[in-house]
Amino acid sequence: MTDSDAPPGWSYNPSTWSQRLPLVGAATAGLFIASYLAAFQLDWVRTIWEPFFGDGTRQVLTSKLSGVLPIPDAALGAIGYLADAVTGAIGGTRRWKTMPWIVILFGIAVGPLGIVSIALVMSQPLVVGAWCTLCLASAVISVVMIGPATDEMLASLQYVKRQSDLGHSKWKTFWGTADA
Amino acid sequence: MDRGVWARIGSTLVGIWLMAAPALLGYGAPAEINDRIAGPVAATFAIIAISGVTRPLRRVNTATGLWLLVAPWLLGYGGGVQTLNDMVAGALLLLFSLVKGTVDSRFGGGWSALSNSPHARHATADSLQRGER
Repeated sequence: MTDSDAPPGWSYNPSTWSQRLPLVGAATAGLFIASYLAAFQLDWVRTIWEPFFGDGTRQVLTSKLSGVLPIPDAALGAIGYLADAVTGAIGGTRRWKTMPWIVILFGIAVGPLGIVSIALVMSQPLVVGAWCTLCLASAVISVVMIGPATDEMLASLQYVKRQSDLGHSKWKTFWGTADA
Repeated sequence: MDRGVWARIGSTLVGIWLMAAPALLGYGAPAEINDRIAGPVAATFAIIAISGVTRPLRRVNTATGLWLLVAPWLLGYGGGVQTLNDMVAGALLLLFSLVKGTVDSRFGGGWSALSNSPHARHATADSLQRGER
């Protein structure tokens, strides 16, 4: 399959909606889950859903580790998912070259969120001694997003590199203000 | 489906198994701690390496597999089911990580297109022609 908007040397265009909408959908699902967990941590809801691990979710969400930051860790996760969804949705289907900044911001939002999620997964049994189903679901979502989000970022990085090799300003290319 | 994708799914399942094994097989530290770190690492990088553009990250689990093969001795498991478990899991991760599979998509020279010297345009053009397989 080739696509007229595909980057040079690419067999497909990583900025189409069929590439991006699933990621925006996953981020939105993550946003709902993390918001629900944060609502419990902020005492806005009194009980929390946990189908498998007994009292696990409550133990994880009220652990010392979950409160080391100024805001609850699930709230930070919700902000991360919101950033994923927004930066995944902004821009048209040629955004890998028209808006490299938003594509790279998207990659930066998706990557670290996944890494933090996995660190938190490790800490559940090791530090807290309990498992939390929705926390695991959230971690799966954030990890699943990394691979599919990375191709678009590579296309943008290649574009910036190519333009820079041709003598154009990296800075202007990054912001999409150069003549493309 | 591509063999490489099956190998990634296999590694993911091994990683999830390692997370659950200490509770299901009933063993404690140090094997418990090791498996609850190695498990999420294995599953995470296996899932990321499903995508063609991040397929090279399968190699992380080459290291995870090798580590699990030596960990029982370096960490002093003292035999038992935890030693057998880590040996089998490590061997599987190692084997799966060696299966690259086929990536049909082309990515404009891939990651190496980013590291060419600024004036090596011929090299860039060549890699664009070839594509990243």
